[in-house]
Amino acid sequence: MMIQYILRRILTSIPVLFGILLVTFALARLIPGDPCRAILGEKATDAVCDRFIREKGLDKPIMTQFGIYIGEIARGDFGNSIRYSLPVTRLLEERLPTTVELSFAALLIAMLVGIPLGVISAVKHNSWVDVVTMIWANTGVSMPVFWLGLMLAYVFSLLLKDTPFWLPPSGRVSPGIPDDPFFEVWKLTLPETGFVTTLCNFISRLNILNALLTGNWELLKDSIQHLILPAVALGTIPMALIARMARSSMLDVLGQDYIRTARAKGLKNGRVIVKHAFRNSLLPLVTVIGLSLGSLLGGAVLTETIFGLSGVGRILYDAITARDYGIVQAFTVVIAVFFVALNLLVDISYAYLDPRIRLD
Amino acid sequence: MDQENKLQTLDAEGLSLKSVSLWQVTWRRLFRRRSAVIGMVILGVMVLIALTAQWIAPYDPLKVLIGVEDVKRREPPCIHLLGCPADKPQHIAGIDGNVRDEFSRLLYGTRLSLMVGFSTVTFAIIIGTVLGALSGYFGGWIDNIIMRTMDVLLAFPSLLLAIAIVTVLGPGLINALLAIGIVSIPSYARVVRASVLSVREMDYVSATRALGGSNMQILFRRILPNALTPLIVQGTLGIATAILDAAALSFLGLGAQPPTPEWGSMLGSERNQVFTAPHLVFLPGFAIMLTVLAFNLLGDGLRDALDPRLAHVS
Amino acid sequence: MNKKLFALLSVIMIASMALAACGGQKTEVPAATDEPTTAPTDAPTAEPTAPPTAEPTPIPDVPIATYDGTSLSVAECGNGYTGFIKSVVAQDANTVVFTLCKSDPAFLSKIAFSPFSIYPQEWIESTAGDETRTSEGLEHPVGTGPYMVSEWKRGESVTFTANPDYWGEAPAAETLVFRWSSESAARLLELQAGTIDGFDNPGPDDFATIQADSTLQLSLRPALNVFYIGMTNTFAPFDNVKVRQAIAQGIDRQRIVDTFYPVGSEVASHFTPCSIPNACDGDAWYDFDPAAAKALLAEAGFPDGFATKLYFRDVVRGYLPQVSSVAQDIQSQLKENLNIDAEIVVMESGAFIEESGAGRLDGLYLLGWGADYPHITNFLDYHFGQATQQFGAIPAAIYEPIALGATIADPAEAAPVYTEANNAIRELVPMIPIAHGGSAVAYRADVVNPQASPLTSESFFATDPGGRDVFVWMQNAEPISMFCADETDGESLRACEQVTEALYSYEINGTATHPALAESCTPNEDLTVWTCALRQGVTFHDGSTFDAADVVATFNMGLNIGSPFHVGNTNLWEYYDYLWGLMKKPGG
Repeated sequence: MMIQYILRRILTSIPVLFGILLVTFALARLIPGDPCRAILGEKATDAVCDRFIREKGLDKPIMTQFGIYIGEIARGDFGNSIRYSLPVTRLLEERLPTTVELSFAALLIAMLVGIPLGVISAVKHNSWVDVVTMIWANTGVSMPVFWLGLMLAYVFSLLLKDTPFWLPPSGRVSPGIPDDPFFEVWKLTLPETGFVTTLCNFISRLNILNALLTGNWELLKDSIQHLILPAVALGTIPMALIARMARSSMLDVLGQDYIRTARAKGLKNGRVIVKHAFRNSLLPLVTVIGLSLGSLLGGAVLTETIFGLSGVGRILYDAITARDYGIVQAFTVVIAVFFVALNLLVDISYAYLDPRIRLD
Repeated sequence: MDQENKLQTLDAEGLSLKSVSLWQVTWRRLFRRRSAVIGMVILGVMVLIALTAQWIAPYDPLKVLIGVEDVKRREPPCIHLLGCPADKPQHIAGIDGNVRDEFSRLLYGTRLSLMVGFSTVTFAIIIGTVLGALSGYFGGWIDNIIMRTMDVLLAFPSLLLAIAIVTVLGPGLINALLAIGIVSIPSYARVVRASVLSVREMDYVSATRALGGSNMQILFRRILPNALTPLIVQGTLGIATAILDAAALSFLGLGAQPPTPEWGSMLGSERNQVFTAPHLVFLPGFAIMLTVLAFNLLGDGLRDALDPRLAHVS
Repeated sequence: MNKKLFALLSVIMIASMALAACGGQKTEVPAATDEPTTAPTDAPTAEPTAPPTAEPTPIPDVPIATYDGTSLSVAECGNGYTGFIKSVVAQDANTVVFTLCKSDPAFLSKIAFSPFSIYPQEWIESTAGDETRTSEGLEHPVGTGPYMVSEWKRGESVTFTANPDYWGEAPAAETLVFRWSSESAARLLELQAGTIDGFDNPGPDDFATIQADSTLQLSLRPALNVFYIGMTNTFAPFDNVKVRQAIAQGIDRQRIVDTFYPVGSEVASHFTPCSIPNACDGDAWYDFDPAAAKALLAEAGFPDGFATKLYFRDVVRGYLPQVSSVAQDIQSQLKENLNIDAEIVVMESGAFIEESGAGRLDGLYLLGWGADYPHITNFLDYHFGQATQQFGAIPAAIYEPIALGATIADPAEAAPVYTEANNAIRELVPMIPIAHGGSAVAYRADVVNPQASPLTSESFFATDPGGRDVFVWMQNAEPISMFCADETDGESLRACEQVTEALYSYEINGTATHPALAESCTPNEDLTVWTCALRQGVTFHDGSTFDAADVVATFNMGLNIGSPFHVGNTNLWEYYDYLWGLMKKPGG
């Protein structure tokens, strides 16, 4: 029954995936303006541009281009960036770690602050803690990410200059800080190419993880300093959402009979909250957390712009402006597939927890 | 709220249900929620400002003051009450990068932001309702196609998709609104579809069908009114998101074009002055936050007030 | 269930075909009239084959050069070949002779440009991939310069280390790091925090902040560019010269420069900046005179003004550092001084360049030009030559003297010709020059010999970061590739210039040319043959010795479209093509 349900859900995502490919391709081609001058600059002559269009295969009929694109994707080949003459997979390998690190840091902050706040305000329902938290949570979801980012930079990079609270306004790591990848420190020899090498490269670019793996405390401190501001800016909206959700589902659970029973049995209040109430209010929370991981990517465009990080959001925005079809198509597809997979996981976990859904 | 109080509330509601309509109950519940009232007050002020901007703004928002007044570009606020010398012209929010009165631009910006919020959400609700209703009522392959298309739209991060759509259509406020509208259609379609599904097989609908009512009649008279409540809640919260997204697009230079006084683009064009003229970044951002906050508070309050299941919770 | 799915899939397929067909029309592929009219349902193949007539097969250009390792030449000039260079010959190991098709007074200025840097012959051959340079070739250039690339961390930084065998003055800092950020506020903050030693392009409003800070210093970069308001004289009402003259006098250019441009900028008295010889021969531009402007406009038949559009792209350039603000100010001036209602239209950069270049914009537009090489021909010939379409039809009174001037080497001799050209531009107003935009470079106060090159080609080996070992430089953007023979972007070129050298170089902080890899290049009498004596004892970073064969191999790589080594990043060789002309003839 369960397996059947999972299979069915996977099967129904196939047309969605195909639709994603189609929309991505169509959007990329519908963007007006030619990629030639966007990439080569205003001084490119018509003759040069004609040559460029031919070089990059952009003069082929649209249908043929779509066919080639689908064929390449099916073979796991994302093609080349028009602008950098590099395989898009390599760009992904370089840019993804920045965004992954940023998103996870943001989510971590959101959870570490959001969940306790939500729980406390539910437990201390209607107290001043509750009121303050909820006003704050509502303000949090209402803040434009770019504004919050700029304001944080203003406060922490300028006003708090020459204090221990100063934080750098941009970049991922200060120059001159050694950041040898873990496989070099461990003296591992990697094959020239292949999945393992790609994976190791990817991991080594996650600065914090790499610093932990190699015991490089200087890099760890520096990376964390650089990460705090963008992560807080990006994490504020999910933090507020999580706090709200934690509060309301906690309230729901606290009102249920078995909690009253537990209390009536004489269990200590703290124990009831942690052991019974909190655990049972987790389910809706997991959903919110899972889904906000996806929406973080949209906010990442703005955060990365403000904090000078070259991650996925930034390169995608630049690629849209530059009409670099290769990057637009590949990166969007990767993000969208990630979204679909996330949704699938959420649905399946729901079905697992609530068997009634499977019958739908 | 303690046990006794809660009982009283329930009691009061139970009694009043006999004599007053659902809407009146909702209003009462809404007014009992402090946060919703705060939201409504902020919104009321915003609407008032939007309606009267041309009378209360001290300057024309597009008027360049070079040679008109002795003011410098990006001058910080000058407020007489706070000790700004009386011989200097008063500019409550300072001067912007084109030597215009920032305060007047902020006031006019209110008009635009509210317009943005209402128009995108109206657009999305209309399209979303039609799609959701068709999908839920007819089911089958229509349902499949519509909902899969919605899934595809939902598979992209909404801001990125909006950016791509605006790039396709060309930058500009109208196109930005369209993009945000398109991106938010799926959530309304889903809401409507769900409520259509929940009542489609109910007795009163079957009865209408048996009496020979046409599909349209059933859909509009019997089924859609059910979707109104979730739509109102979703729409109020949706306005908040729409305003935020429109500001983000304008910030990136894809939305409202200069010299239009739109908060997002005012902020975006001065973002490199955040360290030298912070008032030009802080104030428009604060205005956006306040407006969005008002809609969020109101939306939350409406949800609780309209949802009888939640009525007892707080 | 499966049946449903299949139906859905095929519907999406058909929808995709429909969409694809629409796209096909957009690219103006002639409609396939002879396509068999079968039902569309039976052809959901993954790779549809295009009907043979759907696409006009492009006729490729024909290579015409011969190369044998010591000489690169074409058989004849003209006859379809439009390039400048007839041959590049290694006379002996240390002498290279360039024979040109026509006399070129700007030869040294052009040869010093960094895309024409010399690479070792073996490296050119070993890094040539099938379609582009290998990633080694794109990321780790080998040259003779003061620095070598040690690591390029994509998205973050490029690190250079000093070349221990450099033939010239040894670099002051052992390590050089390039970083980038698109936001000027962020760049300034990094400098204030001391995490970088210098950065390019502070925001115009931050100039005062930097000058007031005793820990920082500001180097002004002379303005070698021009910002102008363009008009296309084939559209009414801009076809009326009085309208153009009215607008020329009705814009307060001083107010624009005073309000929106940084220190070091100036109101344009002529189209070409005056530091270039012959640029400012002839009368200076009109003074601001709104009354006269209004009268002229009335005379032209528009006493109450008219409605038009004001096009621009939201891209920051040295000549226009605050695009949107300037556009809004011009809009308000047009309204105030001339009662012209100009609606602002922001266009995507590429489309804007294309439309304006083809003369298809029906209103006013804001554009500018930055020098490629410091010579008047780089300004006037490009904009006002006979073939130019961006201002409509260029009158003969303008393009004739310009064409004549391009053949005269001596500035004194050319002066009367350029006086005539500049006066004609002033009289006929094809566009309105507004400003030469200054920009700057900010450094920490202890940096010795700070640089701000007018050509934006700072050479950091000559700049000492206050005795520190590492010099950290922050610019606007990441280099696209470091194979600059086939790159046009200034941020890329600057990175390459630390590593590779050309036969000549520009002086530090100036535009005069100095010998670099050549000890001298001397012309014959009519400037058609340039003989270059090469510097001896120079080695490349890979240890090989620099000689004449490397020079010929480099030009073979850049110019000879038939060579297997003619592969780069974009494969367009734009500067080779634009400044010299690729060695090819149209096919067919």
